Amino acid sequence: MLGTFIITWRETIEAALIVGILLTFLNKIGQSKQFRFVYWGAFWAVLASLVFAGFSNYLAVFFRDIGQDIFEAAILFLATGVLTHMVVWMHHNAREIKGELQHQAELAISKNQLWALATLAFVGVFREGVETVLFLWGLFLQGGAFESMAPPVTGGLLGIGLGVLMTWLFFKGFGHLDLRPFFKVSGIILIFMAAGMLSSGIGKLVTAGLVPPLIEPIWNTSWLLSERSFIGSLVAGIFGYRSNPSLIQAIVYLLYFPVTILWLRRQHHDLAQ
Amino acid sequence: MIRRKRWFQAGLALGVLAFAFGTASAEEEIRIAIKDHRFSPSEVRVKANTKIKLIIVNEDAAAEEFESFSLNREKIIRPGQTATIFLPPLKPGRYDFFGEFHPDTAKGTVIAE
Repeated sequence: MLGTFIITWRETIEAALIVGILLTFLNKIGQSKQFRFVYWGAFWAVLASLVFAGFSNYLAVFFRDIGQDIFEAAILFLATGVLTHMVVWMHHNAREIKGELQHQAELAISKNQLWALATLAFVGVFREGVETVLFLWGLFLQGGAFESMAPPVTGGLLGIGLGVLMTWLFFKGFGHLDLRPFFKVSGIILIFMAAGMLSSGIGKLVTAGLVPPLIEPIWNTSWLLSERSFIGSLVAGIFGYRSNPSLIQAIVYLLYFPVTILWLRRQHHDLAQ
Repeated sequence: MIRRKRWFQAGLALGVLAFAFGTASAEEEIRIAIKDHRFSPSEVRVKANTKIKLIIVNEDAAAEEFESFSLNREKIIRPGQTATIFLPPLKPGRYDFFGEFHPDTAKGTVIAE
């Protein structure tokens, strides 16, 4: 029961963090009536996860051998793209805020941006959703007798519940930040998430044999922080931490930051002219 | 603009290099089955310093997630599916892996020697 609880709890936290940032962001810029875009994205992601997990057997050809990796890499790259877009856009919004200690602002938001939010909510939830559904469905299958399968399934569902609750509480507190620090902290979290997703995506292609690891592993930090540990597994899930990364994953991860920052600077420059 | 172009060129060069590396050298093929939430065989011996192609067949009705921290690999294998996982040339040693969905029973080791 505890094992299943921890798995679904972790998956939920990873997904809920993105949804939480999006909702808090909308609230902060005085657009809470647009929450439905984020909810839609999340709702369709849950539905899509159920379909994808449920139709496993029909999609067999698609997922065999390395199909799974290519699919997951595509999702991760899409997520990286939308996250980066979100960071750039938040960065612009932050510049529109005049007062230092403003808690909330009324900022305009375009339809396109709202769809970007919906896409991000979708990708964030879908990425974890398929795995969670496959996992829970497996529990149902293996159980047989109700007595033996009830505890793990209950554990799994409790994990989802607690994950949502914890994220909600976190954003309750996080939402009290003033606008500027809020933009800053969310921006940093999102940039690290995006770098992690990009590097994980490359990792999928390495697993598939499509991209060479160059050198693997390039270092080993499992003595410092192991993915087996509680914190390690969270950091791995959210920021893409690996204790034995390949050189290519490390390069992509580390290159993501200067490239994104250069891009942000350039946009600054364009706007200033 | 020039800066951007340089990044792009660097990326392209890296890509070409990567492709050249990826297609070279021989590999060893290893087959592992998952049955009743156990790996069979649970211990596989491979040659050190040789690329490895792991082929894992999930014979169970439930999905499993192959996971190894020391090998830096994780992959969901759907029920009845065959998954391929490429491993880099390994230094001699023991590399543990497990099934994340059934960690109590699904355990195994790759021994490179």
